[in-house]
Amino acid sequence: MTTDPKSDGGVAQSPNQPFGLPRWVIGIVPILLLGLVIGGFVATTPLAGVDGGEPLPDVSIDYTTLPNDDTIRLHVTNNAPEPVTISQVHVDEANWQFEMTGAGGDRTLEPLESATIEIPYSWMEGYDYGVTVVADNGATFGTTIVAANSSPGLTGQVVWTLAVIGVLIGIVPIALGIMWFPFMQTMSEKWLNAVLAFSAGVLGYLVFDGGFEAFETAQSVPSGYSGPLLVVLGISGAWLLLQAVTDWLTDDEEESRLSLAYSAALGIGLHNLAEGLAIGAAFATGRTSLGMFLIIGFMIHNVTEGPVIVAPLADGNRPSLAHFVAFGLLAGSPAILGGWIGVSTRSPLLNTLFLAIGVGALLQVVFDIGDIVRRSGSIRAAPNVMGFAIGLLFMYATGLFTL
Amino acid sequence: MSSDRQESDSAIHEDDAGTVTRGLEERLVDSVKNHDGVSRRAVLGGLAIAGGSAIAGTGATRSDDDTGDSNDETMGFGAPGTYTEEQFDPHGFLREFNTGDSTNERPSRFGENDYNLNAGVYEENGQTVREFNFVAVPVEQEILPGITFPMWTFNGQVPGPTIRVEEGDLVRVNFTNGFPDMAHTIHPHLRNLNPRMDGIPQNGPGLIDSGESFTYEWQAQPVGTHLYHCHMLPLKAHVHRGMYGSMIVDPKPENVRENPRQYIDYHGPITDEVREMAAERARSRNMISHADYSPEGFDGIDEMVMVMNGFDTNFDGDNEVYGVNTRGFCYAPARTDAYNGEWEAGETKHPIEIDGNERQRVHLLNTIEFDFVNSFHCHSQFFDYYDAGTTLFPNRKTIDTVLMCQAQRGILEFDYSNHEPGLYMFHAHQSEFAELGWMSFFEVN
Ligand SMILES: [Cu+2]
Repeated sequence: MTTDPKSDGGVAQSPNQPFGLPRWVIGIVPILLLGLVIGGFVATTPLAGVDGGEPLPDVSIDYTTLPNDDTIRLHVTNNAPEPVTISQVHVDEANWQFEMTGAGGDRTLEPLESATIEIPYSWMEGYDYGVTVVADNGATFGTTIVAANSSPGLTGQVVWTLAVIGVLIGIVPIALGIMWFPFMQTMSEKWLNAVLAFSAGVLGYLVFDGGFEAFETAQSVPSGYSGPLLVVLGISGAWLLLQAVTDWLTDDEEESRLSLAYSAALGIGLHNLAEGLAIGAAFATGRTSLGMFLIIGFMIHNVTEGPVIVAPLADGNRPSLAHFVAFGLLAGSPAILGGWIGVSTRSPLLNTLFLAIGVGALLQVVFDIGDIVRRSGSIRAAPNVMGFAIGLLFMYATGLFTL
Repeated sequence: MSSDRQESDSAIHEDDAGTVTRGLEERLVDSVKNHDGVSRRAVLGGLAIAGGSAIAGTGATRSDDDTGDSNDETMGFGAPGTYTEEQFDPHGFLREFNTGDSTNERPSRFGENDYNLNAGVYEENGQTVREFNFVAVPVEQEILPGITFPMWTFNGQVPGPTIRVEEGDLVRVNFTNGFPDMAHTIHPHLRNLNPRMDGIPQNGPGLIDSGESFTYEWQAQPVGTHLYHCHMLPLKAHVHRGMYGSMIVDPKPENVRENPRQYIDYHGPITDEVREMAAERARSRNMISHADYSPEGFDGIDEMVMVMNGFDTNFDGDNEVYGVNTRGFCYAPARTDAYNGEWEAGETKHPIEIDGNERQRVHLLNTIEFDFVNSFHCHSQFFDYYDAGTTLFPNRKTIDTVLMCQAQRGILEFDYSNHEPGLYMFHAHQSEFAELGWMSFFEVN
């Protein structure tokens, strides 16, 4: 291969001074030309001939709450690029009075603006209610409130209840799982790698589990925010950011293992935050009967998360106990926080974002575990492959009882 | 229609959290129900109990407190707000009868769309001719406070103008199609002896294209409350969009006196008494277009036209707004207090004021589209009913609800002379129609 500059038959050019102009001028030329093209486009309106009419109105009822038995509250967003005016509201195909707040004092929603519609309606517990908002041009946007039940809001009792549930499904099982650490320290490197692979399997399962759920909740995100793309951004953003931070923080093997444990704890913590959100949201929809069975199911499901966090450390020296306490809190306590957030804000947008970030964090941990296993063996060794598969299967099996 | 005005009811966006929880419960129930004799209900009930007792400090989290004194609450039902568009006044329409008399012109309510509706009454070949000018124009009309609907109209209004003529007259309608891009017709529900004048695509002039004109000539027969509407295809669209109105053919007392059997559904002997009764009823029917039938002043009757209709605002084949004379709730109080019985009339929404001493005669027509039937029901009162208004003795006496198929119409007669002054409701007795606008009140004074 030759390194001689090839001529196109034209003037020979210096690579540093194309066309004899300063570099910055050449750099700015495409931008100037772009401006010219856009200006010309706007000025000549070449699309006038294919004018497809006004954009379609698109209003979503993001979620509904029932603060008391005389009120239905709708949370609406305008997803269209044009303002839309909400003129009437139907409850079960009947016109109803309503108050609209949050749209600047009127009933007109600007693009991507959200508002709250409060309807004085004496609903009955357990019944379904179809609610519809009617725009000024007669377009309708509806949803169904299934099995109506009071949304409690964040009262002292709810805060306490969710804290207890959070401790039971978050901190307790993870703490129990961490107790396997001394046992893991006695394992040979070969079997420890298998355990690590098992952890990767567990986390891999959670990646898919959380990922699918994120895409599902993304359906309820106001379409103006492109829910599914938000999931993609959340996952890749969290993953890359965490990767960059761990790479930047750690050089030596020992520290890198500790930081991996923290990454795992963080990823699992975000996952449990999402679990907490689901529970809080269930409370907010009035479904307070999250029974003992469910809590036990969550506990069994989450107990595997403990050894996953500490598995990377089993090979080296035991870090101070404070680290273990930190792991438990970092991974477990977000379940409490999630419950509180879930019950007080019912935003599908926030819910989706938390889920996506959690998935990104877990993904990063899975790849880091892969690196550790590769350093001391082969990923494709039979015990490791089996470990990974068993991790997936185990989670699937316990997941049958819970989430 | 798929895209515009799409009703997202079909894609139920339940709260995702609710879905998650329900999923959890379902899964739990499914996993437990296979165990000996555990029913789904028992599991869910058990869940609730377990949930309540197992979690420390969890009681019933649902707040049971009553929000204040319910006596102060106003009833939440109804369409909030008032009408803003002034181009159509349902209260004015209610009692407006156009006889063709151009000296008695109605106020130009629709501006440039008014088109000089009453074009004259004159004799031609020994027959009275009543001439009208009709123009088809598209108009946005408000059907609920804040909600407009793109109407196809006769003379810029829905329902179209009420024509009132006498039996035996020639009705001459100069029809101009003012639409930029759509053909229309006028089809009358009359005993029409000339097929060219039937106003359908297949006969006579057929469709009247944009900018074209045609003069329809109809024989005013039989006596009754009738309907006219556009017969362009797709019929459903042209009717639903508002191209209909009423045409009242009044009986001539002298014709009735001469040949009473034609006007009464009665098989007994025609005594002088029966003859006079029928003629007197004809006279009472005809006073509006003929003041000369009551030279000494006959003011015991209050006549109204009510056209029952509905509007499918999102074009999904189901009406979102129902009303009588197009606007939902427009004859209802602007505000009521459900608990103290207090109410308020609004600028644009107020009950129909009637005199308790007068007999009320309602010309009722059903032009509903997308629903098989409509109905009229009045509270605390019963009425006599004349099907299609073609007889002078009632077909049904003392009923409080009448059912009507599309294009069916009739005359209702009743009075509130024994009633205390106040509000008396009337509405469709399809609850859905009533709650979506077809609900009104008489205010008896
Ligand atoms: Cu038409």
